[in-house]
Amino acid sequence: MKKYFTRMGDGSAVYMTEEEIRKDIEAGIANAVRGAKVDPLTDDEIEHLYNIITAPDSVVSVENHRRVVQTSDSSSNKLGRHSGIAIDQPTQTVIYERCLGCDSMDMGLNDYNFKAVKSCAENEAVIVKNALTYSAMPLLYGGMPNLGFYTKPDGPVDNWAELLPAGKLDEARAAQEEAVEYAVHDMVFVADTMYKVGVDGINLDTCGASGDADWLAALKACEIIRNKYPDMGVEMGMAGEFVLGMHGKLEYDGVRLAGLYPHQQVKLAEKAGATIFGAVVNTNSNMSFAWNLARTCTFIKACMEVAEIPVHVNVGMGVGAIPMSEYMPADVVSRTDKALIEICNIDGL
Amino acid sequence: MSKEAIIQAAYDSIIECDEEKAMKALDDAKEQGISFVELLSEGFSAGIRELGERFAFGEVFLPELMACTEVMQKAVAIIEEEMEKSGQQTKKKGVMVIGTVEGDIHDIGKGIVASMVKTNGIEVHDLGREVPARVFVEKAEEYGADFIGSSALLTTTMTVQKEIEEILKKEGLKGKYKTMVGGAPVTQRWADKIGADAFCEDATEAVKTIQKWLKEMGREEGM
Repeated sequence: MKKYFTRMGDGSAVYMTEEEIRKDIEAGIANAVRGAKVDPLTDDEIEHLYNIITAPDSVVSVENHRRVVQTSDSSSNKLGRHSGIAIDQPTQTVIYERCLGCDSMDMGLNDYNFKAVKSCAENEAVIVKNALTYSAMPLLYGGMPNLGFYTKPDGPVDNWAELLPAGKLDEARAAQEEAVEYAVHDMVFVADTMYKVGVDGINLDTCGASGDADWLAALKACEIIRNKYPDMGVEMGMAGEFVLGMHGKLEYDGVRLAGLYPHQQVKLAEKAGATIFGAVVNTNSNMSFAWNLARTCTFIKACMEVAEIPVHVNVGMGVGAIPMSEYMPADVVSRTDKALIEICNIDGL
Repeated sequence: MSKEAIIQAAYDSIIECDEEKAMKALDDAKEQGISFVELLSEGFSAGIRELGERFAFGEVFLPELMACTEVMQKAVAIIEEEMEKSGQQTKKKGVMVIGTVEGDIHDIGKGIVASMVKTNGIEVHDLGREVPARVFVEKAEEYGADFIGSSALLTTTMTVQKEIEEILKKEGLKGKYKTMVGGAPVTQRWADKIGADAFCEDATEAVKTIQKWLKEMGREEGM
């Protein structure tokens, strides 16, 4: 029986039969439907997905007219930090723009969270200003709300991860609510500083990584930033396919945040004034690429059907069906991109 | 009230986080002579497993899960007391040490696993986060553990799980403890490669794995 080369969610190579791949596609879709309560992919879409996964080409692509924009987060540090090349951030930025085909990107501090940026925001602004003079593409300044950084001993607030297991639910919730205010202040402060040097937008990245309070902080900050600076964009990228309920009762615009999936998340991002939504689906490293991609497409298709702002789907290590491995295998990365563009009609990667 | 209705009430009490209902189910079971082992496994434990499933899909949130866990722990404590009195429960079920490995601060998942395992009657010693490999082994020795659970969320920190296995082998302790590994980048392949006894995808699987081991060890009562 013919077997097709594909991968597992940890990037390892695996050979699967048509029957096995189809079974995993069905299971991935079912998992997404069970969670987000959205429609499954149609038979035609499943067939197209199967053909993309089993295509004989090592790398696949889309027709010219289907190309989408590509943005990259925290790229201004990656050549230096990840590859050990002694190079300044503005130069890295233009390498991404002119050599690597980025249509937009964000710059950020190595630590990549707003609490850490606060103390050196003016220095960061100088670097951003230099990069803006070199580059033509939209340049954002990014970081993570990272609510966990506001807990003791690193911050002023009691640690809800310790309070919750101790049964102190009210205290844990109060601590998160307190942390939200600190985080909003820091995100807005950094946005103020970056606006002064003319940055094109702010990227609030991995929103919800510390749960629903983390996302609430990002939504509130987004609303304030957009009201203060209507000509500056805000990209809101998520941390996972559903918002983890660490608090469980927090609401934004009358909607409970915990447990929301991408098609619901995007509507709140719109209400907060976000100009780009970064949908995220986590990769399960123990399941096959077929399972992960089918699941991702099911969530994202539902998100695209209701989105009124551009959606740039996260396709990096461990998200968007991309394997959880240090080096991205081009075969599955290109298949993911093609499926997301052709089946889900995404706006960007 | 039928046996099925009492077991259902025990199940519902956990799902609904209703301590009063849990206590009533226990009283009813006692009055009608229903096995506490059955009440626990078919009622309370089944409820907590269902909650774990709902949590995985974002239908139940951490505070609710923790509150339900508390109801479960109270029910388990009463069952243990009753079984002790009746001589049903004589064997210790098991002891586990668990922690997030050194260099890694991600402890949400580990905390959930610790709570769920504890709820199922295991004595759990949560070592917290950023735990060096040696400390896992030292604490396992100190607490007389049966199981060592380690969690890693990063590809750069999962190597500490390998260090745990190496220390156990080097010190002739491999086999004394059952080791289980978990975390986002961790896979069955990784567990096999480093020689861990089990890979557990989530809290529910961790509980199932421990239950299986307890059965093999002849300590399945009460689970």
